[in-house]
Amino acid sequence: MIELATFPLLTLLLALPLAGALACLLFAGRPAACRAAALVATLATFAVAAGLFLADGRGSGWLRFEDHAWIGRFGIRYTLGLDGLSLLMVLLTAFLLVLSVLVSWPEQKHVPLHFALLLVMESGILGVFLALDLVLFYLFWELMLIPMFFLIGIWGHGRRLYAAVKFFLFTLAGSLLMLLAILGLYLQHGEQTGVYTFALAALRATQLSGSLELWLYAAFLLAFAVKVPLVPVHTWLPDAHTEAPTAGSVILAGLLLKTGVYGLLRFGFPLFPKAAAASLPLLAGLALLGIFYAAWIAYVQADAKRLVAYSSVAHLGFVVLGLAAWNVTAVEGSILQMVNHGVTTGALFAMIGMIDARARTRQLAGLGGLWARVPVLSGFFFFFCLASLGLPGLNNFAGEILILLGTFRTQPLWGALAMGGVVFAAAYTLRLVQGTLWGEPKGEEPWPDLTVREGLILVPLAVMVLWLGLYPAPFLAPLHDPVRLLLQGGLP
Amino acid sequence: MNWLDLVALAPILVLLLGSTAILMVGAWWQARRPLLLSGAVVALAAALCAGFFPPPVLEVAAMYGAGPYARFFTVLWSAVAAVTLLLSLRYGEERAFPGGEYTSLVLFAAAGMALLSSATSLIGLFLGLESFTLALYILIAFHKQGVEGAEAGLKYLVLGAVATGFLAFGIALIYTASGTFHLPEAVAPLAAGAQMRPVALLGWAMLLVAVGFKVSLVPFHLWTPDVYQGAPAPVTGLLATGSKGAVFAALVTLFAGMPAGGELAPILAVLAAVTLLVGTLAALPQQNVKRMLAYSSVVHMGYVLIGLLAGGPAGRSAVVFYLVAYAAVTIGAFGVIASLADGDGEPQDYADFRGLGYRHPFRAGALAVFLFSLAGIPPTAGFIGKFGIFYAAIQAGYLWLALLGVLASLISLVYYLRPVIVLFMAEEEAPVRHPGSAEEHAALLVCLVAALILGILPGPLLDLIGAVIP
Repeated sequence: MIELATFPLLTLLLALPLAGALACLLFAGRPAACRAAALVATLATFAVAAGLFLADGRGSGWLRFEDHAWIGRFGIRYTLGLDGLSLLMVLLTAFLLVLSVLVSWPEQKHVPLHFALLLVMESGILGVFLALDLVLFYLFWELMLIPMFFLIGIWGHGRRLYAAVKFFLFTLAGSLLMLLAILGLYLQHGEQTGVYTFALAALRATQLSGSLELWLYAAFLLAFAVKVPLVPVHTWLPDAHTEAPTAGSVILAGLLLKTGVYGLLRFGFPLFPKAAAASLPLLAGLALLGIFYAAWIAYVQADAKRLVAYSSVAHLGFVVLGLAAWNVTAVEGSILQMVNHGVTTGALFAMIGMIDARARTRQLAGLGGLWARVPVLSGFFFFFCLASLGLPGLNNFAGEILILLGTFRTQPLWGALAMGGVVFAAAYTLRLVQGTLWGEPKGEEPWPDLTVREGLILVPLAVMVLWLGLYPAPFLAPLHDPVRLLLQGGLP
Repeated sequence: MNWLDLVALAPILVLLLGSTAILMVGAWWQARRPLLLSGAVVALAAALCAGFFPPPVLEVAAMYGAGPYARFFTVLWSAVAAVTLLLSLRYGEERAFPGGEYTSLVLFAAAGMALLSSATSLIGLFLGLESFTLALYILIAFHKQGVEGAEAGLKYLVLGAVATGFLAFGIALIYTASGTFHLPEAVAPLAAGAQMRPVALLGWAMLLVAVGFKVSLVPFHLWTPDVYQGAPAPVTGLLATGSKGAVFAALVTLFAGMPAGGELAPILAVLAAVTLLVGTLAALPQQNVKRMLAYSSVVHMGYVLIGLLAGGPAGRSAVVFYLVAYAAVTIGAFGVIASLADGDGEPQDYADFRGLGYRHPFRAGALAVFLFSLAGIPPTAGFIGKFGIFYAAIQAGYLWLALLGVLASLISLVYYLRPVIVLFMAEEEAPVRHPGSAEEHAALLVCLVAALILGILPGPLLDLIGAVIP
């Protein structure tokens, strides 16, 4: 029997999707086999992630840790670590990727490549959430970029090339500066201690002068702010989300945006505590700006998908506001809200894809009256919209209330302003509901209501919405220890 | 020169004697395929000889090193020659290249590159440089029916002659100042307060101009796009990787003895900066893959120059690693073009590549990997190469060059992505190209594996480079 405690489960998490991707390319002639391979690989990854959650969910410190020499000459190591924060993100990734494979199931164009890219991206995202060596982290950070570029560029809609290139350039601009900052930090640390390493734990001990710390932190912050995205570096997002294929949008909104916040929590704040503390008001300001600005823009969108895309900017504004408030309640709320947003927005993007498949339009002007034509599908859509606008008892409410409570405790003004944002969220979400579900049906031909495949996608999401809304405690439990350590300026 | 010296030069003798033998055989027996294949075998034999046959002496006739550094590059250029010959098999068949002459010239060029890389004196440097340049003059214009080939050959010849003039004059001045051709002693008069310093500086400046022509640094780069476009694709691969790489390999030896903080450093820094900027901006509007790769090579030489300028063990090993990574990737990229070529010509315009990602998935996928590697996206060899260069630059205090390098990398993504977009995301499809021969697929697979292995597990090569650099 294999000793589970020492078995490299984290490497297995990264390897399973890659193996699936390889299988897809090998079965390139048989699309059905590719779909099956992708589903098996994502389900296996989810099984491992869920197993880790059940087994280690209540532990403290590093639940899992793997460390091997990699590129000795530069002191780069293959270091993976799993704590409660990573665990939650890994679980969300594995969960959404299974659903993304189901979302992409009917895809007919270049099937093997499509699923191979989805799986490579899963590896990249999981790697980002697990890596503890800065170069390894950077490697995964870029690795999730390339598949998304192809997903948008090959399977996207209308202005897909523009959106794909813009997405690539924005993200790369931030991350290249981060690479320089990583090198700067590495050299600084090496000069002080004589040990040249990219290990996060070691680099945190680096003594930095005030201005150097500020510059390095600024480079990290820019890379992460582009991904989150914070206003004013958010402009790639509406294009990328709107033009991406449905599975791409689900992953973009559900996961890629979270890597930005995760990067701040795991790397930005612990590496540069003084600069980070000084930047909190700025982050709060940008977050509040994002909440209102994005909500306002979302309200006037004519395209349902674009509306949801802008709503993501607003929701992530709440998440960043919670970080900026910097206390246990707010930060835990932020992390929980990342999961919530992944579930609800992922569901909304998936459903807009389903509506688009039937109506062949995403324009609110061309939709309407869906409730009369496809009641079950409309019911689900209404449910996820309510969750998105923060109805008590559903998931987003749980996260938002924690963020607002925490924020009121330290920064009442920020909290009060953010309350206004909740009203804005209701406004644009109800407009989405009104534009799609209510009104006169715009056509006569009968549409199929929810199919089995679509049900398999939506039911788990709905269960998660209710579970996270009614009883979030199991998902907050793994966070207590990491958040406490984080606020003390530390990591496991 | 005695017997031991000859033994030490064995790998290069294998290349030269093989080259001569194939030329002779080719005059009587004009079977193209066996000649090219035996050329590849000779190149591999030279590589094996260089890798596993330890030299009895470390320096030959005070002109060429035979130590680990020289041997390292002999292996590299022999391998490049072998890949070039494999990629030329079908390409040469369809254009009726005379097999004996072609093979012989490629091997001769490889020998010249190996000599240049191992030069430890200015005379050795001159001889090595001229010997492969001579071979390339002919190879570039080898396709007799092509008009562009003749134009490219002539351009390379005229500018090459100018560069040779500069080089010879520069060496003469350096000799005047130092009284020796040998390195690193010939660098001594550059030290502050040395006698004849102005003469030495002038000599080095002229040498740099000649080098600038050869590796196409801005403003000496204007020949590059025309020559790249006109030369047969496999030859362009050899030209882009070997001729430039060998010059930089010799420069590493040259700069190893250079006193720090001289007048040359700021000039080189400005040269690198201008090269990066001009090359990047010129590559942006290109519509022809070979011309784009030409400007991209200009930019890459700018990166290598940053590494050279940064100096120290970190800078030197970054340069060598970059050269290896660039060689694997670039020869692969031109190899894809060569393997897609048929009797009607090479696909060069972006439009010729439309939708080929689904018609020729292996080669299109490989080309995409090569382009991502040139752009420095992990996990490819190009990323580790740039990582090393940026690291060396920051360590040596050239933060502004590193920032400029990052900016150039970012813009470069736009022109590297354009062919990728055309390959995989175009609406229309270009006509099907040649399916490619088994040898071409094998050669491209070698380059592809190298591009990925050097990106994922660069450790062994980095350690090897750390052990061989002067």
